[in-house]
Amino acid sequence: MPDNASKKNSIGDMLWQFKNFISLIVIFIIASIICVRGDRNLFLNPTNLANVLRSISENGIMAVGMTLVILLGDIDLSVGAVLGLTATGAAVLMVQNGLNVGLAIMIVLIISLVFGLFNGVVRTKLGIQAFIVTLASMSIARGLARTWSKGYSVPIAFGTEPGMVSPVYGMLGERIWGIPLPTICFVIIAVIFAILLKYTRFGRYVYAIGGNETAAYLCGIKVDKVKIILFSLCGLLSGVAGVIHAAQVSQGSPNDGIGYEMNAIAAVAIGGTSMAGGKGTIIGTVVGALTLGILDNMLGLKNIDNNMQQIVKGFIIIGAVVLQKEKKR
Amino acid sequence: MKKLIAMLMAGCMIFLMAGCGQSQSAASNQTAAASAPAQETAAAQESAPAEEPAPESKGTFLIGMSQCNIGEPWRVAMNAQIAAAAEKYPEFEVVFSDAAQDNSKQIADVENFIVQQVDLLIISPNEAAPLTAVVKKAYDAGIPVIVLDRRVEGDAYTSFIGGDNVLIGRKAGEYVAKNYPDGAKVVEIKGLEGATPQKERADGFREGLGGNDKIEIIYSQSCDWLRDKAITVMEAALQANDEIDVVYGHNDPAAVGAYLAAKNAGREGEMIFIGIDGLPTPDGGIQEVLNGTMAVTYVYPTGGEEAIDAAYRLLVNGETLEKEVILDTIEITIENAKEMMERFGG
Repeated sequence: MPDNASKKNSIGDMLWQFKNFISLIVIFIIASIICVRGDRNLFLNPTNLANVLRSISENGIMAVGMTLVILLGDIDLSVGAVLGLTATGAAVLMVQNGLNVGLAIMIVLIISLVFGLFNGVVRTKLGIQAFIVTLASMSIARGLARTWSKGYSVPIAFGTEPGMVSPVYGMLGERIWGIPLPTICFVIIAVIFAILLKYTRFGRYVYAIGGNETAAYLCGIKVDKVKIILFSLCGLLSGVAGVIHAAQVSQGSPNDGIGYEMNAIAAVAIGGTSMAGGKGTIIGTVVGALTLGILDNMLGLKNIDNNMQQIVKGFIIIGAVVLQKEKKR
Repeated sequence: MKKLIAMLMAGCMIFLMAGCGQSQSAASNQTAAASAPAQETAAAQESAPAEEPAPESKGTFLIGMSQCNIGEPWRVAMNAQIAAAAEKYPEFEVVFSDAAQDNSKQIADVENFIVQQVDLLIISPNEAAPLTAVVKKAYDAGIPVIVLDRRVEGDAYTSFIGGDNVLIGRKAGEYVAKNYPDGAKVVEIKGLEGATPQKERADGFREGLGGNDKIEIIYSQSCDWLRDKAITVMEAALQANDEIDVVYGHNDPAAVGAYLAAKNAGREGEMIFIGIDGLPTPDGGIQEVLNGTMAVTYVYPTGGEEAIDAAYRLLVNGETLEKEVILDTIEITIENAKEMMERFGG
């Protein structure tokens, strides 16, 4: 698989990468043209661009994790529920149990990692399809979140009095030089995983398994171990998104994150990753997340009816994926 | 071929964007006026209209209404009343956004309104804590804020308009205490946790019961204000309890959902149903009282019309608004239901 690729393939790959950016550029240009009011450009406004970056960060982080799993040809439907569980848990631990921020975050991140681990182990050792396993763990995570907070939303007040949470945690809602902190987290995570997939041996194992699992196994790759690691990472990243989410909305609610898995999958799909596995990149996912975010922003700034937004978004997703799917052989 | 389809879809998208957007770029004269107040603090925003020597120099006003969930009929009525009231004032243009119960979406909706530099923000927040920061951002940026029905925390807003949920809850409690002096078993079907009206209707109800020990609340669960969830919640209550005398729903959909569940179990005759909202629509509370489904409901005014009238006083006349405007309620039973239906426009 690796170095025997013909010249045609590598040119094809380069062109294909370029295609990801085409849909992003197109949407960016359209947004810049139509989101105008009087003599002001609403879209190209720095505050608005920062808003867009902020709004895609949670989804982006989850989508990075989702990319890992989809590259295997699998999927993880539990990411939204794990986000809800982490956000709720963090809030309860900090507000009701008075734990300090660092400890609470560590605990909930471990929980999210364990969820991913559970997904990976059941998928590989029990041979149950990822769709089913993660559908089940989605339900379990949601139920756990509801039990943990007894169904209530737990508001987070930042301050130093008892019952309040250290403002350090609130910093996740702030902006540094205009760039939202969650976006910085997203960029760091994307870079780490892009390097992991592209330049390490582990990364090549991932693509090998996604491309042809049997061949990979016969090559001596420990397929099960790789899968378990990837699912665990996906769970962990959902946990990170959850910790950021709770700080962003100053609340941990067991109803948060419902439907978020759909946005994560959409970002990955628009980014050019194949649902069958073996093909896709983190940069593609980042582009996909940005495309979705700009789309949402554009629809919002034009005050388009919420229902219409859903319909338009659906068509855009199909259109963007079709654009990416040009056969190059 | 594939590329053609993709291009076609992109083309449709552009067409839809341009055609369906409600905001027009015609209000160019507001940009000059809007950018100046945007830098000032909230306290100075009342002087913004005063900067214009005559109100006529500012042509139209853009009002952004951030709704939390159009899935609730009561909120559909709120938006409709806002739109109807705005028609009286040609200088007002109102745009609506719906967050579908998602806090993150509502935060993004308000951020979009801030970017659009709306002249006024009306908001009915999904939950108090998550929306407080972004509402404060709007307020600090010089955009006056009217909060409807559900509160935000703190006081970074111009005016709150809402019904008195504690009062309504108390009246419902008093109704039960009056009609069941020898005791009753009550099932409570609550609204969305984290929304202030829910807490106030629950607290008020318990106050209204007046410490009568014989009246017991045997089951209390949330249905998120939604009728279909109320059916499920009530089914569970019916399973768990053989004897139920009163069902107190925090809104009419909750009470009606409970009624449907009880009817399915053949037990609707054993209990009375109490709701809140009292909308005069064909599927609203007043009609349900007329049908005999509910024993009593309490009008919970949406405040939509009051919000637009307040907007006019603030934006055009430059008046200062009251911080808290509490609207009254009316108890509707079979005795006055017909009259109420005619009065409110059935």
